[in-house]
Amino acid sequence: MSLIDLSEVSKLYGFGDATTIALDEVSLTINKGEFVAVMGPSGSGKSTLMHMIGLLDRPTHGTYTFNGRLISHMSVARRARLRRDTLGFVFQSSNLIPRLNVLENVALPLAYKGMTQTRRLKQASAVLEQIGLADREYFMPKQLSGGQTQRVAIARALVNNPDVIIADEPTGNLDSASSLLVMELLSDLHKMGHTILLVTHNPELTRYSSRVVFMRDGLIIADEQTQVGRIPALARKLYFMQRKTVDDDLAGVSALMKALSSDAAQNKSKKVKKIKTKSFKRPRKKRVAK
Amino acid sequence: MFSGTYLKLARAAIRSNKWRSLLTMFGVVIGVASVVTIVSIGEGVKHQVSEQIKQRGDDLITILPGGRIKRDHNGQITNFNPLDVQGGVSFSEADYKAVLQIPSVKPVVPFGRVVGLAKTASNEYEGAEIIAATEGVPLVLNQKLAYGSFFADNELKANSAVIGQRVAERLFGENVPLGKSLIIRDREFIVRGIFDKFSNGSAFVASADYDNAIFIPYKAGQETMGGTIQIYQILTRPTDAQHMDDTVAALAQALKTARAGQEDFTVLKQDENLALANNFLNVLTSMISAVAAISLVVGGIGIMNIMLVSVTERTKEIGIRKAVGATNRQILYQFLTEATVISLLGGILGVIIALLANFLLRIFTDLRPVVTWPIVIVACGIALIVGLFFGVAPALKAARKDPIDALRYEQ
Repeated sequence: MSLIDLSEVSKLYGFGDATTIALDEVSLTINKGEFVAVMGPSGSGKSTLMHMIGLLDRPTHGTYTFNGRLISHMSVARRARLRRDTLGFVFQSSNLIPRLNVLENVALPLAYKGMTQTRRLKQASAVLEQIGLADREYFMPKQLSGGQTQRVAIARALVNNPDVIIADEPTGNLDSASSLLVMELLSDLHKMGHTILLVTHNPELTRYSSRVVFMRDGLIIADEQTQVGRIPALARKLYFMQRKTVDDDLAGVSALMKALSSDAAQNKSKKVKKIKTKSFKRPRKKRVAK
Repeated sequence: MFSGTYLKLARAAIRSNKWRSLLTMFGVVIGVASVVTIVSIGEGVKHQVSEQIKQRGDDLITILPGGRIKRDHNGQITNFNPLDVQGGVSFSEADYKAVLQIPSVKPVVPFGRVVGLAKTASNEYEGAEIIAATEGVPLVLNQKLAYGSFFADNELKANSAVIGQRVAERLFGENVPLGKSLIIRDREFIVRGIFDKFSNGSAFVASADYDNAIFIPYKAGQETMGGTIQIYQILTRPTDAQHMDDTVAALAQALKTARAGQEDFTVLKQDENLALANNFLNVLTSMISAVAAISLVVGGIGIMNIMLVSVTERTKEIGIRKAVGATNRQILYQFLTEATVISLLGGILGVIIALLANFLLRIFTDLRPVVTWPIVIVACGIALIVGLFFGVAPALKAARKDPIDALRYEQ
């Protein structure tokens, strides 16, 4: 059975005319052990999707089943406990608590399990050792470099041995050398069997993933299985064309459209599984309807 | 197990911002310190008064003008009216004589107030209280003379005086001014005796501070006052302590007859006297404490204010904690514990300051404040409740934060 199962999930913000559709009837299934990269421009709903999957948010419509449990109507407290036991977060800005040292930061999720301090710190220490930061245990967050901070954040996400690690642009603030370290670490975790969800702007990073999901305007417009170690053609094209042609963006018909059509024409490979051209048009219809 | 974790969190939060935490708890510190100090001063005075009263002996009967109490038919006091001051009411010569007629009391000592200033040739002392009395004073006050002797009932017109130790020091500037003369209302008196230091003289019960008293013979006092003198209390003892209640009743009956049926006087046994004094002091102490307690409330509001600011400042931290799995309740408890710990620490600090203040009061004043455990425990308990009460709003604010908004929050 799939680990994460979103079925026609929508998320709306605001009321009446000011309603924003952050997610528009998104359906997505993720199995255990996948490394899913989520790509898309700013405001495409990536973060909302991650918050949804990460149980920080509840869908306005649709159903979300996590590990066989229906989340949509779960209470705030039960979601918090589920988050504590099965999920790990890594954010763009590392989000370590500045008053606590590295060890205490890593041990934080365990505190909410009611574990004794000794056991907490022992377990946190073991995880830090595992990711090669054993010598930084008693450093304060501000004494670390950006890459180290992110690795500590990953350690914190790992410490409760979660089913899923959600990394929201973990390398967004890092130089390429540090990015490499962080991505290698995530890749290792993937190899060890963790399910990883990675939000990124950088197509280079999709080489680590086993699957790439493209989003735009609250919709999943492409969902592609890839081979680890290769950057999918779509990501590459999307990335470069977006950068090059301003006109396309202004015209509203995005670079993605071109990328998709040319891709489909040239290459009938089954790597591109679903191209939801149909659903891609739907937001336009809706806007006209309003 | 959980509470331990919360305490550690609170400790870390307080430590990370020591100055602010200290200033936050300041209101509670002042509130607790002042309440504890005032109550312990009150306790101390009570203690002093009771020592003084006990020192006079159990069988002393005090007769005061003014109806301060009501008794039922069994002689039990049913109602205290401690604030009924003497207000011009006093006993007359006739009342004194009526008491003298009672056979079962001896000696009967009137305390007549002589209005005037005590002077010597070179000095004067405003603080002295001049009392016209009879031979029985050392007996009813249960006090020995350090030097000389008290005047006898057969020399009540003599120009002699017996003084307390402070009068000796302040008026004459020496310890044993025997044979020296002092002038009261243009009449010269010769010092013939000096009392031992009275125990537990206190600024708060000045009327009973006999170290400040000059005793002159009753008739001589009457003469200096122009023939009549106001008697503000009569002290006596029963000849047989077994029949105390009967004696009190007999005294009351005699006085009622002498005062034409008016019950505008009070006959008190020593234990009742003590209860009366305590009652008055309790009222006084609780009124002042109530005022001081207002600062506790202000302190609580201070805690709430700073905690609200702290919650806003730590929005991101709250977001992180929620993301890693803290429930709303756990966040609530964290901030509630923090507010309570700050308040309780303030309470403890307040008690320490109160102890220090009491120590200084003991050194520099006549007061002998007594800190009792109940005061300390109640004060700390109130500080704890203040913290809990005023911590609820900030803690709720923290607990209800949306995790996503909180995570996005940037200072």
